[in-house]
Amino acid sequence: MGSLFLLGFIVFWDTARTELPAFNLTVSPKVFPFAIAFLLMGLSALLIINIVRGDGAIPEGLEAGDPIEKSDYKTFALVLASLFAFLLLIERAGFIIAASITFFGITVAFDNKKHLRAAVFGTLFITVIYFSFTHFLHVQLPAGILKGI
Amino acid sequence: MSSFNSLIDGFASALTLSNLGFGLLGTFLGTLVGVLPGIGPALAIALLLPITYTVSPASALIMFAAIYYGAMYGGSTTSILLNTPGESGSVITALEGNKMARNGRAGPALATAAIGSFVAGTIATLILAFTAPTIADLAIKVGAADYVALMLVAFTTVSSLLGASQIRGFISLAVGLVLGLVGADLQSGLSRLTFGNQAAVEGIETVPVIVSIFALGEALYIASRFKELGWNIIPMKGKALMSRDDWKRSWKPWLRGTALGFPLGVIPAGGSEVPTFLSYSVEKKLSKHPEEFGHGAIEGVAGPEAANNANAAGALVPLLALGLPTSATAAVILVAFQTYQIQPGPTLFLTNGALIWTLIASLFIGNTLLLILNLPLVRVWVQLLKVPRPYLFAGIVTFAMLGAYALNTSTFDVQVAIAIGIVGFLFRRFGMPITPLILGLILGPNLELQFRRALQISAGDYGTLWASPLSKVLYTVLLIALFTPIITRVMKKVRKDAHA
Repeated sequence: MGSLFLLGFIVFWDTARTELPAFNLTVSPKVFPFAIAFLLMGLSALLIINIVRGDGAIPEGLEAGDPIEKSDYKTFALVLASLFAFLLLIERAGFIIAASITFFGITVAFDNKKHLRAAVFGTLFITVIYFSFTHFLHVQLPAGILKGI
Repeated sequence: MSSFNSLIDGFASALTLSNLGFGLLGTFLGTLVGVLPGIGPALAIALLLPITYTVSPASALIMFAAIYYGAMYGGSTTSILLNTPGESGSVITALEGNKMARNGRAGPALATAAIGSFVAGTIATLILAFTAPTIADLAIKVGAADYVALMLVAFTTVSSLLGASQIRGFISLAVGLVLGLVGADLQSGLSRLTFGNQAAVEGIETVPVIVSIFALGEALYIASRFKELGWNIIPMKGKALMSRDDWKRSWKPWLRGTALGFPLGVIPAGGSEVPTFLSYSVEKKLSKHPEEFGHGAIEGVAGPEAANNANAAGALVPLLALGLPTSATAAVILVAFQTYQIQPGPTLFLTNGALIWTLIASLFIGNTLLLILNLPLVRVWVQLLKVPRPYLFAGIVTFAMLGAYALNTSTFDVQVAIAIGIVGFLFRRFGMPITPLILGLILGPNLELQFRRALQISAGDYGTLWASPLSKVLYTVLLIALFTPIITRVMKKVRKDAHA
């Protein structure tokens, strides 16, 4: 929860250090950020007090049954890695490759056993998406190294 | 009378072949995405936003209207058969409808939900068509200071009525406001919170934020916390039809649900949670079979489902007339408008009149299409529930990334999306509501603008903020919304102590 306080402080600090432009405005562009910074710092202080007094965070339940006790960081990391793969590959390798890898990575993270099937299905699905977006909806997506094929 | 004529014109332009096609596509996609477990209407619309990037505004809005109703329709199917409400508004439907499905009455449950949604949607859209222009007319006289008050009320109600903890609601709001600050200040050009990043000067795009806070946040959260990967689908026997008795028991709850849902959508009451719960308790009180409630009473599906739909239409009134979203879904629709450089608000009916009437007309059409197409097709949709979960999440996540990238074809948006996905995960992990964040992000810059405008008019006199009668009323409402939860909590505690 300290991170929230930190966020408030960052807003405060960034606002305090920026220099005002020369011309005069009725309300400075700093008023609003300062207000938000104080709001955030105040609220996070309150939250910290509440947590110390025993009002702990309740993780969201719902849908897939009860949450397991300990967080599973291996799966979490795998999903996150798949997201970063997309970020790194989208402009270098093109949409089809980047998105197929992300798709496959997530099926693996979610405990899918049939890897080959997931890879083939994922790539096909992504290819269909790619062509329907570029051809029918005229949304430009990078072709990447598959350009010309 | 002019409303009526404009509406007829709206129908004329919505019923062209190509627009009808977009409407049909919207109902199809909306239901498709809405049926997928765990996807509520807000995420469904946000995920489908990229599809409309290159379509003309009229067609896109028609598609959105269809997606909006379609996603809600699909969501109720999932709630009934799978007991997984995609949003707070269908919690009750899941509760009572799922019980009906377990008793082998999935068909009537689906039918009463669908027909109820249709009835409520049609009545509510009709009221919307005749009230929104009137409210917009009045709203033109609303000054900048009143807007500040109005937005503060919306912030307060949404932050303090949603979720279990008021502080967490407000923190979520504050984080959203911070995100809204990023970028160049509109009036002075001053860069705020950009830390020298050129791409950040343009500000943070709302679409990637909404998509990733729902989709990526959910995927990361499920990945880290849940092990069971199966769903318990209740097989549907028979057709989605209602018996004579079902009709007799449903029509009144439909109308009562509409009467409750619409007004509560118009005022910022924190989304569809309150009206659906209210409708449920009203039906339980009025029912001749109160003992059936909790074991699958048809009234308990009919009423809340109608309330939910009427509420959704009601939320369009402040959205169109004031530019003020009161729920996550309405906020997403606001973003959809802004993608087309259309700013909903009092002048909308003047500047984009034809477009808005087309939209309203297409709400009627979309609603009708849904009923005609989906009731017979419900079995087809049910098949979608069998999509294996790894594929489902993989599809949602890749689509979210696609949406983030395609908006500006920039990797900065993808970076933002991933960062926000992690925020979404943390919010879920620590029990913070998400809707206030979205509202803060979208309305924050607007609030600052109106705030400064008000002070410029008054030459820096802060008294102007609460000078008008309307703003005085609004601030009173704000204080009530802020302190009611605290007072009720204290009262409960006092009562508990008295018993002990």
